[in-house]
Amino acid sequence: MTGAAGLLLAGAALAQVAVRIQSPSPDQPVFGTTQVDVGVSSGEKVDRVEVFVNGKLMGTAQQPPYKFNLDVGDDNIRREFRAVAHTTSGTAGADTIVTLPVQINDEMNLKLRALFASVASFGKSNLTLNQEDFQVFDNGVPQQIVTFGRDELPLTAVLLLDTSESMQGERLEAVRRGTRAFLDGMKPSDEAMLALFSDRLLNFTPFTSDKKELDSAIATTQAAGGTAVNDFLYLSLKLLDARQGQRVVVLFSDGSDVHSVLPAADVLWKARAGQSLIYWIQLGGKHKSFTSAWRDFKGNDREFDELEKAVQESGGRILAINRINELEGAFRNILQELRQQYALGYYPTTAKGDGKWHKVEVRLRGGGGRVHTREGYADY
Amino acid sequence: MRARTEGKHFGEPLVWLAAAVCLWAGQTAWAQGPAASTEARGRTGSRGLRAGAEIPPEKIQELYRKILSDWSAGQTDQAPDELIELETAVAVDTDARTHRILLKEEQAVIHQVGGADLEALVPIAVLHHEAYRRLLERGGRGHALAMVHTRNMAKDLALLYSEQSGSEGAKLVASRLLTSLGGLLLQSAQQLPAAEMFQKGIELDGRNIAALLALSTVYEKNAQAETAVKLLRQALEIEPANAEGRLRLALNLKRLDQDVEARKLLAGLVADKEPSWVTPLAYQELARLDGSNKKGAAEAEKVLRQGIERFPDDLRLRIQLAAVLDRRGAPGEATALIEKALAKSTPREAGASRYLYNAVRADEFAPTRTFLDENSKSRLQVLAQALSAPPAETTGTGVAP
Repeated sequence: MTGAAGLLLAGAALAQVAVRIQSPSPDQPVFGTTQVDVGVSSGEKVDRVEVFVNGKLMGTAQQPPYKFNLDVGDDNIRREFRAVAHTTSGTAGADTIVTLPVQINDEMNLKLRALFASVASFGKSNLTLNQEDFQVFDNGVPQQIVTFGRDELPLTAVLLLDTSESMQGERLEAVRRGTRAFLDGMKPSDEAMLALFSDRLLNFTPFTSDKKELDSAIATTQAAGGTAVNDFLYLSLKLLDARQGQRVVVLFSDGSDVHSVLPAADVLWKARAGQSLIYWIQLGGKHKSFTSAWRDFKGNDREFDELEKAVQESGGRILAINRINELEGAFRNILQELRQQYALGYYPTTAKGDGKWHKVEVRLRGGGGRVHTREGYADY
Repeated sequence: MRARTEGKHFGEPLVWLAAAVCLWAGQTAWAQGPAASTEARGRTGSRGLRAGAEIPPEKIQELYRKILSDWSAGQTDQAPDELIELETAVAVDTDARTHRILLKEEQAVIHQVGGADLEALVPIAVLHHEAYRRLLERGGRGHALAMVHTRNMAKDLALLYSEQSGSEGAKLVASRLLTSLGGLLLQSAQQLPAAEMFQKGIELDGRNIAALLALSTVYEKNAQAETAVKLLRQALEIEPANAEGRLRLALNLKRLDQDVEARKLLAGLVADKEPSWVTPLAYQELARLDGSNKKGAAEAEKVLRQGIERFPDDLRLRIQLAAVLDRRGAPGEATALIEKALAKSTPREAGASRYLYNAVRADEFAPTRTFLDENSKSRLQVLAQALSAPPAETTGTGVAP
C-alpha cells in the first residue's frame, strides 16, 4: 500500500466517528488546570479517546464521559487542543481547536491569579454555575476570567498536624482518624503531603497520592515537644508555591504558637502574596492568653490574631472544635468544601508588582447566592 | 566538738522551723496538689504502711530513724522510697492535722541527730529533696500534703543548717539545695515558689550562677525584662563566657530597645568557636534584629547564610532565610532552599533549641545536684554516728506519747 492510499483510507474511516471538543472554547485564553470535555458519536464501540495539547499526548479515557483535567501550564501562549477517538475496529475521528494567548501590553508583567470560590444558595452549596455567571473585580475593576473549573480540579494539600506533647494518646489517635478520613476522600489525581510538627518537624512525606505512605507517616510518629505553628505553616506555603492547581494547607493545632522564629506577620504576608488556601482546625475553643520566654501576653495575643487573619485572607476558614472527637468531621467538611469550589483565573489588569493590597470581589450575575473567596492579595 | 558548740542554739530555730513548715503547709498544700484519692488512701508500700492508717508517734520516729539509717548506709535507691511511704502514710490530704503529727515526730529525731552533729542535717535535707523529686516524677497524685511537707523539710533543714553553722560552706550547700528545689518547682510550673527559692539561694550565695539564670528566666517569662537584665548582668560578672546568660541578656535588652548592646552580644555568640545549643539561636535572633527594618534585610540574609554554613541540617535557619529571600524578591531560591533541606531526611533536631530556651532543661540543675550529692555522701558517716549517739539533754519532742 502506498502512503497516499493509506491516507485516503484513514480519511474514509475518520468520517465514521464524530468528535467535538466542547470545552474549552476556541479562541479563548487557557492557563493552568483546564477541563477538556470531548463529545463522541459513533456507531461502533469507542475504544479510547486521546487528547493532545500542542502535539503532546496529555490524557486518555476509555469510557464516557470523556472529561480530562489537564495542567497546560501558565505560559501565555497559543495552544492547539486535538481530541482523537478510536473505535474497537480501528477507525478514528478527531477534532481540533486553538486557544489564543491573552493580548497584553509588553511592559506589563502579568501573573495569573487563581480564586477559589464557594457559592451557597439558601445555605446549600451551588455547583451548577458557569463561567458566565461570575464577575471578578480587582480593586473594583472588572476582570476577564480566563480559566474556569469546578468540582473536578485536582487538589494539592499539605496536612500540617500539631503533634506536640499535649497531643499524646487519644488526641493523636483522633488525628490519625481525621487524616484517614481526608485521605479516603482524595481522588487519584489529588496529592497530599503530611507534615507532623511540634517545635520541630517530627515527620513528613513527599507530595503523593499513595495513601499507604501517608498513613504510615502518622502511624509511626510520637507526639513530643512544643509548638511552632508559624514556621511550619510558612514552610508548607512555600512548598505549595511550586505546585499547580488548587492548593491548600489544612492546619490542625490544639494550641498557639510558642516557639517559632518567624512572626505571624510573615505568615500573613505569605498568605497575602501566595495563592494557597489555609484551613485551620482549632482544638480547645477560644485562644487563651499566655506568656513565655519568647513573647509576653500581648505579643502572643497579637500572634494569634495575625494567624487568624492570614487564614481568613487566604480564602480559607477557621473551624473551632471543642472536643477531639469532632476532628474527623472537621477534616471531612474541609474536603467537601474544597470539592465544591469554583476555580476562577484572571490576569489582573491592575497589577503593578508594588506589593500593595488588592481587594478582590467575586459577584454572581443576577445575584442569587453568597460567594466566599479570598479577600484580596498583595501584588508582588 | 563542733556539734556540741553549735548545738547550744539548736532549740530556737527548730521552733521557727516547725512554725514555718506549719505555716507553709497551711498556705500552699491545698492549692498545689491534686486531691487525695481513695486509691491513695488504701495503698500500702514495701513496709506495709497504708495511707491514712493510725501510726503511733513512737512508731513514726522509729521508722524515720530506720530510713535515715538506711540512707546513711548508702541505700540511696531504697531510702527515699521508704520516706515517701512513711510520709504519705501519715500525712493524708483529707486531714491537715496529720501533717503536724508527722512534723513533730520527724522534728524530734532531727533534734537528736542535729544536736549530735549539725553536719548530719545535710544528708537528711538531701534525702527529703530526693523524696520530693521522686514524688513529682510520679505525679504525686493524692499526696499533696506529703509533697509540700517533704519539700519544706528539705528547704528548712538547709536554712537551719546554714543559720546554725554560719560558715560560708554551709551557705553554699543551702544555696544549692534551694536552687535545686526551685528547679523542681519550675518543672512543675510553680513559678512563684520557685522564684522564692532562687531568691533565697542568691541571698545565701550571690555567685550562684544557676539560681541567677533561673530567676532571670522567671522574670523573663513574666515580661519583667529590666529585672531579668539586672540578674543576668550579675551572672555574667561572675561567668562572662556563659553562653546562655549572654543570649538571654541580649534578648532582654532587645525587649528594652537596647539594640546596640544586644547586637554586640549576639555577634559575640556567633563568633564563639565552640558551638552550644544557644548558637543557632544567636544566628536566628541576630538576623531578626537586622531584618526588623528594610535596610537590614541584606545583613540578615548574610547572617543566616553563615548560620546555615555552620549548621547545614538546621531547618529553622533555612525557613528563616526563605522568608527573608521571599521578601527580597527571590522566591524561587527560597523554595529550593527548603526543598533541598527536606530532600535529605527528617531534619535533625531542627528547632529544638527554641524549645530549650523556653523549657526547664534536664541539664540545667545537674551540676547543682551533683554538688548536693557529693556533699551528702561525704556526711553519711556523720549521720550514721549521730543516729547512734545518745540523746542530748536539750532535746525533746514535746509530743505526747
